Amino acid sequence: MNGSNQTLTIESRNETEGRQNRPSAASRRGRDRTARKAFLVITLLPLFLIVLMAISLILRTWPILRVHSLAELVFGMTWKPDNGLFGFWPFITGTIWVTVVGVLLAVPACLLVSLYLSEYAHSTTRSIAKPVLDLLAAIPPVVYGVWGLLAIVPFVEKVLAPLSKRWLSSIPIFAVNQPTGFSILSGGIVLAVMIAPLIISVVYEILATVPNDLRHASLAVGATKWQTIRQVVIPQVLPGIVAGVVLGASRALGETIAVLMVVGNVARVPTSIFDPAYPLPALIANNYGDMMSIPLYDAALLGAALVLLIVILIFNIISTLVLQRMLGRKKT
Amino acid sequence: MRKLSFMVFSTIIAFALLLSACASAATSAPAATQATGSTPAPTTESLSGNISISGAFALYPMMTVWAAEYTNINPNVKFDVQGGGAGKGMTDTLSGAVDIGMISRAIKPAEEAQGAYWVAVTKDAVFPVVSAQNPVAADLTANGINQATFNKIFITGEFKTWGDVVGKPEVKDAIHLYTRSDSAGAADTWALFCGGKVQADILISAIGVNGEPALVDTVIKDPLGIGYSNLNSVFDATSGKLVAGALVPPIDANKNGKADADEYFQSKADAVSAVSSGKYPSPPARFEFLATKGKPTGLTLAFLNWILTDGQKYLDAAGYVPLTPDQQAESLAKLK
Amino acid sequence: MIKKHWARRHIEEAFVKGLMIVSFALVAGSLGLILWTVIVRGLPALTWDMVTQSPQGGFYMGKGGGVLNAIIGSLYLAGGGTLIALIVSLPIALYLETYLGNSEWGRFVRLALDVLWGIPSIVYGAFGFAVMIAIGLRASLLAGIIVLSLVELPIMVRAMDEVIRRMPTDLEHAALALGSTKLEVALRVVIRQMLPGIVTAVLLAFGRGIGDAASVLFTAGYTDRIPTSLLRPTASLPLAVFFQLGTPYPEVQKRGYASALILTLIILIISLGSRLISARLNRYTVK
Repeated sequence: MNGSNQTLTIESRNETEGRQNRPSAASRRGRDRTARKAFLVITLLPLFLIVLMAISLILRTWPILRVHSLAELVFGMTWKPDNGLFGFWPFITGTIWVTVVGVLLAVPACLLVSLYLSEYAHSTTRSIAKPVLDLLAAIPPVVYGVWGLLAIVPFVEKVLAPLSKRWLSSIPIFAVNQPTGFSILSGGIVLAVMIAPLIISVVYEILATVPNDLRHASLAVGATKWQTIRQVVIPQVLPGIVAGVVLGASRALGETIAVLMVVGNVARVPTSIFDPAYPLPALIANNYGDMMSIPLYDAALLGAALVLLIVILIFNIISTLVLQRMLGRKKT
Repeated sequence: MRKLSFMVFSTIIAFALLLSACASAATSAPAATQATGSTPAPTTESLSGNISISGAFALYPMMTVWAAEYTNINPNVKFDVQGGGAGKGMTDTLSGAVDIGMISRAIKPAEEAQGAYWVAVTKDAVFPVVSAQNPVAADLTANGINQATFNKIFITGEFKTWGDVVGKPEVKDAIHLYTRSDSAGAADTWALFCGGKVQADILISAIGVNGEPALVDTVIKDPLGIGYSNLNSVFDATSGKLVAGALVPPIDANKNGKADADEYFQSKADAVSAVSSGKYPSPPARFEFLATKGKPTGLTLAFLNWILTDGQKYLDAAGYVPLTPDQQAESLAKLK
Repeated sequence: MIKKHWARRHIEEAFVKGLMIVSFALVAGSLGLILWTVIVRGLPALTWDMVTQSPQGGFYMGKGGGVLNAIIGSLYLAGGGTLIALIVSLPIALYLETYLGNSEWGRFVRLALDVLWGIPSIVYGAFGFAVMIAIGLRASLLAGIIVLSLVELPIMVRAMDEVIRRMPTDLEHAALALGSTKLEVALRVVIRQMLPGIVTAVLLAFGRGIGDAASVLFTAGYTDRIPTSLLRPTASLPLAVFFQLGTPYPEVQKRGYASALILTLIILIISLGSRLISARLNRYTVK
């Protein structure tokens, strides 16, 4: 309606106020394009990093693969680097035992806690739980190790082992073959507490993706909360729960310092949870100092790191994909 | 978008491969980092520079004392001392990562061939340890254990019960063997004493305990246990007495079937004098060495010379065994 | 009148609920137990000297000194690592939100980041060690900082990403509708909204970095002096604890517990601080 001299477009305002006060649309778009490229490059760094890690570890492990076959390394039972014997089997089994015990101890309690927080708890309980879990997750592994040393190892030694000797001595898996508390069980207990916050928070998020309508419908037909959980909620998200557990397991696999301080570090294939074990991360951490002084030792240890990397990568990729799909149901 | 993805992906892989290839090519030419301790600084008043040291935990506490005292005399000398074990010390020294390596075991020929040059700076000893509540403790303290028996306990496994050890077949209590699960000079020395072997040859069924204090602790708790340990872990630092619950069975060095008075140690002073005088067999008494790559020069040389002269007076208070004047002279001669 | 009939399912529910409460008590109780153990065993040996002095001669045999070298070393290590991680994380988080969103590429990058997050620090340490040998870098503060920044990167990006995803997108859409470029939206709108989240992410990663032992074990070395140079080894609190516990002298072991207590206190302060700061900074965000 008014004359065109009254209408101010962005360009004309530029001319009035002076070009130097306002960057032109073109230059702003230019900056956007440059930033886009720069940010893209930076964003590619993580991908680059994974590939670089895998490749460099493979390259450093290669020398030992030329001398020993993979089967020799994986299934060999003797570890005597001085004599060129690199049998990883005791360490592999040790790692598996500790991880399994840790996960078995953690999962039931963690599922129950997540379900409780998700389905039953008041908001006050939830608001206490969050800092508690955050704090548990923030405590450094070495402090867990100190706790394990001071509280768990004596507990296993003085309470659990005698109990097992008394009541469970006929079951080989609970046999007490050594007098100290440094055992798979101690490692498992410490690991269980360490991975608990992770499992709890993942499962809690998963449970939150189940639409409330489903719960209400089930309750409306007269089911108890527990029945609802068991028969309606959980089946919806079972893959997600499994993924969360797998994620926790992969965290347990890689935990080094805390386990090292309580698990005994003996390179023998375990037969009981009261036996000591020597998980792969502990092997790497304990012996890095000697790496360069014995031939092929560095290749062996970095090979152990490579194995850890591959296994954890597989676990992580699968569970993350499952979780991404499940959690993607939420908004955004 | 597909084409872009493919291009981006292949760029990443190519780049990573390139980088790793360069990295592994560089590995074949070992990185020789200059040891800063060889900065020439001859006059005693104006000594300055950095000395970095790493190696055996057995020498570590003593080295920190030496470093502190040396810095008091020469304030411009800075030390970096790390542990990491004898193996790490040797590796770091040979690769030039540190100036001095603390080695609590004999130097291997292969290491010598790579240029390791060493001097003995103190004596230490590894002692067998059992629990004070061992069922045959009385027999052990009366008769001692000789080296052949130790061999059968720790290396061959021929002796499986305490009855075997003391010659009383009616005693059927099993021997619970403990060893170091981490790489330890003490373990090597003990294995050497038992049967000319190394740490890896100690019976595979021995229960590994990580770290020396834990090992002693564990043996104390197990009446049927036996292990080995350095001087400082079995004798209390302040009182000089045996750590509560521990017993050091005498080593029957002269093989007379009895534990002579000077073979049985109940205090640190006894043990130290036996090691110093040479009465305690070597091994398991051993010299502790400081190693350098090639003959030491400059600041490192000055420091080593000091350790072998004035530095020796700090050993006793710290619970290490000083070198005899002959041994000192021998080491000093090596440095000339 | 309807009589309450205890069907089997009600009993089952009560039972399960009981189990749940027990489990919750177990988990919360573990935290309490950990803190209790560390405080009770660590406090007696926690002296002023411990916090203000480096190890003097004979420290590892029970004589004087403290762990100031490790405290400062850890602060430098985690500080440097967090700084580098921040510089790299922020662009990644912004890029993810404003340019990639929920596209296939976006999910792929998030997958990669989650995977990196799950890689244990010992593998980062081993990788760092391999690279160090290859390029001739000695164990040093710099090497430790670099490896720590790698460890902290996924943690930081993940935390930032979580915050960004919860942000209402209306603000961004409004800005875009006004003609902003995506870069401007990112820098002027998103960052401001994210500020509490950035702070939380930074503190979270810092806390993780200061407590991590496995990655600095090979790469940062150890020393008894306060670090003054990037190219020399540095002490760190977790390793200080580890080494002190490994000596045969009970006084030194007790000091190890005290050092663990110091570390725990630092973490507690960071945790608390992060809550307070983000609560304060929420002033600047639009709800």
